[in-house]
Amino acid sequence: MISFLLAYISITLFAMMLLGIYGVATRSNLIKKIIMLNVMGDAINMLFILIGYRLVFPVFPPIYERHITFEEFLNRSVDPVPQALVLTAVVIGMAMNILLTTYAIQFYRLHGTVDVRDMAEMLRGDEE
Amino acid sequence: MKRDALVAASFLIAFIFIAYVVTVKNILGLGGEELRPLSEFYLSHAFAHEGLTSHSPEVVTAIVWNYRGFDTLFETFVFFLAIMGALSILRLDREQLEHARELEGSMPHRQMDLIVKATTKLVVVMIIAISASIALHGHLTPGGGFQGGSAMAVAALLLFAAFSKFTLERRGLTLKHTISAYAAGLALILATILAPVVLYGGKVLEINLLPGETGLFNLDVGEYTAVTFGFLTVFLILGIPEWVFKNILRRELND
Repeated sequence: MISFLLAYISITLFAMMLLGIYGVATRSNLIKKIIMLNVMGDAINMLFILIGYRLVFPVFPPIYERHITFEEFLNRSVDPVPQALVLTAVVIGMAMNILLTTYAIQFYRLHGTVDVRDMAEMLRGDEE
Repeated sequence: MKRDALVAASFLIAFIFIAYVVTVKNILGLGGEELRPLSEFYLSHAFAHEGLTSHSPEVVTAIVWNYRGFDTLFETFVFFLAIMGALSILRLDREQLEHARELEGSMPHRQMDLIVKATTKLVVVMIIAISASIALHGHLTPGGGFQGGSAMAVAALLLFAAFSKFTLERRGLTLKHTISAYAAGLALILATILAPVVLYGGKVLEINLLPGETGLFNLDVGEYTAVTFGFLTVFLILGIPEWVFKNILRRELND
């Protein structure tokens, strides 16, 4: 049952990831692109956490407590490495979001559009 | 239209292939019962009582700031670069800032409901307390500087919405102060990673030479301050109303 759930969630996350790539590639609005980039990033982060899960019962967080023995801790604790990787990735994702949103906002203020097709036309106009 | 259908069909085929590989072949190693060797090393050494240890029962923080310390240090620099990039795009010189303040002051002063304001005050105090506990207990309980800082930045956003940026700036939360606090957080991080070199003749970031858990605690506090005020700096500039910014930009283009 639980392995079925794990497979189900991971496939859903892969679908979300592909959906994110599809959105980034096909939408022409910058804000929509940023949103789909977020969808993709969050799916990848969740997949990372899922890989660290262990099928033991009961399962503990990777925090050593005094009332359990060390062997039991090693046998029961989930994998801490993916969590540590995702932890920094989330905050950097948020900072990157701020940077991208700032660019989009400033471009809108200066040119009145966030559409990539209009941007391409502006570039072509500059070259001629 | 035909190209869209082609793209969608290829994504569908990719999805079916991935689903087959993940469920039947189990390439990700999902749901295993045994621990990977690397994690076993981390779990058994993070709080060992003899030998090399990082004095932290919370293994995630031990990995983030001790075993993979350089990774996190450079992530902090990436964060710094992102914030500075946003700031340099939205920068205003002194004249323009004064102009913006004048324009904001001339706006009609509208206030939120008493209910909204009172509830926000209560909730913000709670969020700040929780974020401080997340960050300051980061080496003992789940949490750390990054998470606490993000929670704290959200509290500030709540204040922006319920009161106004103008009220907060009058109370002393100006751009100058937030940037100084951000620099203080970064300075604390730098001081902590250089302390083992200066005091004990160790290597950079060898924080388990420091007594007890001071190293992890200082780094968590530094990261907490840096993340909170880094986000706040950008929020303060993004909080300038759209028409004020357009006014300033138009003046700059006309000059």
